[in-house]
Amino acid sequence: MSIKSDDGELDLLLGKMKSAAAPLRDVLRDLHARLAPINDGKVADYIPELAKADPSWFGISIITADGQVFDIGDCKQLFTIQSISKPFVYGLALEDHGVEHVLKKVGVEPSGEAFNAIVLDEASNRPFNPMVNAGAIATADLIQGKDYPERVSRLLAMFSRYCGREVYIDNTVFMSERVTGHRNRAIGHLMLNFGMVSDRIADSLELYFQQCSLMVNSHDLAMIGATLANGGVNPVTGQRAIEQKYVKYLLSIMHSCGMYDYAGEWAYRVGIPAKSGVGGGIVGVVPGQFGIGIFSPPLDSKGNSVRGIKACQELSERFGLHCFETKFTGQSFQSLLAPVRSSG
Amino acid sequence: MPKIISTHSFRGGTGKSNTTANLAVLTARAGHRVGVIDTDIQSPGIHVLFQLHESTIDKSLNDYLWGRCPIEEAAYDVTARCIGNVPDDAQRPRVFLIPSSLRTGEIARILREGYDVALLNDGLQDAVRKLNLDFLFIDTHPGVNEETLLSIAVSDLLILIVRPDKQDFQGTAVAVELARKLNVPKMLLLVNKVAPGTNVPELREKIQSMYQAEVAGVLPLNTEMVRLASGEIFTNRFPDHPFSQELYGVVKRILE
Repeated sequence: MSIKSDDGELDLLLGKMKSAAAPLRDVLRDLHARLAPINDGKVADYIPELAKADPSWFGISIITADGQVFDIGDCKQLFTIQSISKPFVYGLALEDHGVEHVLKKVGVEPSGEAFNAIVLDEASNRPFNPMVNAGAIATADLIQGKDYPERVSRLLAMFSRYCGREVYIDNTVFMSERVTGHRNRAIGHLMLNFGMVSDRIADSLELYFQQCSLMVNSHDLAMIGATLANGGVNPVTGQRAIEQKYVKYLLSIMHSCGMYDYAGEWAYRVGIPAKSGVGGGIVGVVPGQFGIGIFSPPLDSKGNSVRGIKACQELSERFGLHCFETKFTGQSFQSLLAPVRSSG
Repeated sequence: MPKIISTHSFRGGTGKSNTTANLAVLTARAGHRVGVIDTDIQSPGIHVLFQLHESTIDKSLNDYLWGRCPIEEAAYDVTARCIGNVPDDAQRPRVFLIPSSLRTGEIARILREGYDVALLNDGLQDAVRKLNLDFLFIDTHPGVNEETLLSIAVSDLLILIVRPDKQDFQGTAVAVELARKLNVPKMLLLVNKVAPGTNVPELREKIQSMYQAEVAGVLPLNTEMVRLASGEIFTNRFPDHPFSQELYGVVKRILE
């Protein structure tokens, strides 16, 4: 009797209700409530804007590869993306140049050095990987565009496709990163000396400071993760953010190098490709299933969000999310997505 | 396992709040802890049936949705008002009501700002847990809106109230379609305000085949109910009325 209409609109609305009713919300609320009282760690303070963060801020977001959204806690609170930007800019460089060319400029080996080390591979002069600052600067240098403004706007457009909304750069953070970025400039010029970057390195450093100063929240991080989990297509807008064939390369690098000096232990214990940033964010990807975004500013000595690490570790163990898990006998993550009803 | 029951009608004036209140009280009388939540934030009303005066409502569902209090602080024990003398320390029967705010400013605020519908589900789950409920009845706003869809999505049982009226018939088709898309496990139709002289078996058959759903009760047009003017719970005052008799049958289905 009812009149046929646009099913897409209806599906979105019904999807929202299914998320709201799914048991995963309870699981995440419980996790949030248990981890919120943890007061370990220290908020980053190398620039004044980061030091302003409230250490009690804590948001957990999960977005599935089919677009179900779960936001618990301070999921709308914006913060700077910092190092989490690195794998995605790397993805754009892959699209601009292809794998072989990019590999000549930036390696894919875990370094074991600090993220801001001024170290290049002795044989090839390449930075070890795109997650250390040297590699991220060399990657930013690969971003194409006729001039600096066009390169910035390509970067912003890419992040907007991942997030499914217009994103912007915080100018105050950008200026701070810029005036305190001596070490990054030194890295850039060292690479110029070896001929590993182009002569527009000054612009590329600016581009790098811009990408670090992008404002996101935990919901955005989960959406970025969900986009990768969904083969590069944002599951809510349906827009492609990155070519499907490059998604696995981003995930590989996140898996081996995403968590600073904790990357090896993370891959061992948690086994979810992830990237963290000193703003307190972590993005994680369970391929084919969902993206996770966590925001909690206090960091451990390695520079990773304390609550974020604990949250991911617990989710991974409870639901068998480690990428090498086989024949897991516990409760599956998928079973948390449909409402449990007494007579259902 | 506790059961969540939503009562809904596509159009207003079907007797939704009255039916919900009566079913809740009858369910409690069968020896259960029952909650009733008024998610009709735009036009709250079910508190009147439980004789909960506006001036005694301190915290409401609105306060919970704004993060001002946990849901259980917005729950009022109305057992004495609708069931009568139950010892204070008796766990069952109990009836708790979670009202929506009647303050104009608070209704305006929730309409203007909206709220995260997922928070409403957190509140429903918390209410069931914290109040240790056996049954939670949700009185919804007519038509299609987010709180209604959410209520349907979390319900174990959806009761759709429909009058024998062409406008209701069309609207109910929409509600039935949405409920099916939200995988509601069980759906019952209640036909209300049926005029005297109606061929009831024929009407029942017609509506069942129209929606492919069971008609659990056919309630007569009820002048005593009109006269009672929501002053109290109808089945308390008129336990032998045909309307009450029909509801007893529906409660049996709820308790199944």
